[in-house]
Amino acid sequence: MSTLQIILVSLFIYLGSIGSIIGNTLGWYTLGRPLVASFVVGIILGDVNTAMIVGIPLQIMYMGNVTPGGAVAWDLSYATYIGTAAAIVFGKGMGATEVIGLAVVFAGIGGLVGQIMWNISYAACLPLNRVANKYAEAGETGKMFIPNLVLGQLIGFAVRFIPAVLLLTSMTAASQQADFVSIIPAWLTTGLSIFGGMMAALGMGIILSFLLKEKYHIVIYLAGFILVTYFNLNTMAVTVVALIAAILYYYSVSRKVEVE
Amino acid sequence: MEKKISEKTLKKSFLNWFFWNGCSQQAESMLGMAFGQSMAPVIEELYEAKEEKSEALKRHITLYNSESQVGSIVNGIVCGLEEANANEACTPELISSVKVALIGPTSAIGDSLWVATIIPILLTIALSISQASESISWLGSLLYMIVYPVGTLLLSWYLFKLGYKSGLEGMQTFMADGTLNKLTDAMTVLGLIVVGALTASFVNMPMPIQIVRDIYDATTNTVIPDQVIFNADGIINSIFPKLLPLSLTLAVYYLYSKKKWSPLKLMGLILALAAVLTAVGYGTGFYA
Repeated sequence: MSTLQIILVSLFIYLGSIGSIIGNTLGWYTLGRPLVASFVVGIILGDVNTAMIVGIPLQIMYMGNVTPGGAVAWDLSYATYIGTAAAIVFGKGMGATEVIGLAVVFAGIGGLVGQIMWNISYAACLPLNRVANKYAEAGETGKMFIPNLVLGQLIGFAVRFIPAVLLLTSMTAASQQADFVSIIPAWLTTGLSIFGGMMAALGMGIILSFLLKEKYHIVIYLAGFILVTYFNLNTMAVTVVALIAAILYYYSVSRKVEVE
Repeated sequence: MEKKISEKTLKKSFLNWFFWNGCSQQAESMLGMAFGQSMAPVIEELYEAKEEKSEALKRHITLYNSESQVGSIVNGIVCGLEEANANEACTPELISSVKVALIGPTSAIGDSLWVATIIPILLTIALSISQASESISWLGSLLYMIVYPVGTLLLSWYLFKLGYKSGLEGMQTFMADGTLNKLTDAMTVLGLIVVGALTASFVNMPMPIQIVRDIYDATTNTVIPDQVIFNADGIINSIFPKLLPLSLTLAVYYLYSKKKWSPLKLMGLILALAAVLTAVGYGTGFYA
């Protein structure tokens, strides 16, 4: 990665982290989602193809990572940007499954770093309450943006951007030291690809815990499953079927309510 | 003369919240300072005396938390209440207690409906588009990047105005109206089917056990070397295709939602299982 690329990726890691200056709707919930993050990394590093090969499984793995109640279980932004960048930097010459395994491991490392940084920012923002109190006491409505926006984001930017630059720089240095395809033994790449394939169950399992509200719902889930395994439909085709089912369901429920 | 918040100030208050609600999140006041910044332009417009401004600001930098996208309805309601207060039709105590009372319901609706249902379903649809064609796999990303923020901005602004105009009543109609529940249920049906399809397409778990023997062929009286006489993976998939990935996904669901395992612990379990399967695979010659 060139210096410019490192800076750009780090900048997006910051923008996609929770509570960045562009807001959680555009940041955390959009730029921070693996599906979007991998696309952005792909554009910056000039390899959208590889980026999307790892971006799709990473998105599935982390589908259930939705921070209910503001509790950050895992920093998605850090995880995917680092994971995708690693796949492109280290994965040259590897097959798709091995690259995915590689991305999963680096996403884990990135997520952990991001998690630590979130905790630091959460603590470092505490004294800002004193600043806010001072301005509130003086009735200075025009200065209320200082503790929240200016000081809060100085901390937010520092703890996201700087570690990201360090991490990406050392990854680049490491990738120039050796040819990773030849160093990594076959059993490790096999193991990594098995791990990557199984990790997708994590995202699907967690998302099911939000969607399965009644016991019979499991049948609806199985319907989607067998449409792929027995009927060989692709996911886009299943989505169309699902849309039809949802519309029919919506109107049949409306009728029932009217009859009552 | 009756005081009224101008449209411009309302927009400013909303945008302050929409973009900067998470800027200074911490344990003491959570989103309190952000709420204060959101209310600052409203307070500036409604109150004249420095003491009044100070009192108003102080009651809005206290502890506040919500799912901020759906929670923008609270900002709208509080704008309406501050306006009433400036016209002496409301009290500061009421404003504070309403704000605190709304933390629970708006967090619950926001988290369960928006964050845990709408976002994953939108992502699943985007994923299915990305997966449909490898050459344009970025299309799903691009669609999500446009649809999600624009849709959320419109919803948040609508809720903010609804809160401002109809106050608590608006909140109640929004919550009590059956349309919301029906829509959520229909979205759930959509989500479940697509998640089922994604499970089948993306989750992989092999059973790498095979037995290889030299077979003596009586008809030709020769020994055929290295014949696979037992392949666990093949047998399982011929009974019910992808049975193992399905079982693994349901096991994760069970451990996460019923046994309250953390995602990190589940990740550890999957890593351990993957290591065992790799070892078994090499041990039985499934992987060479």
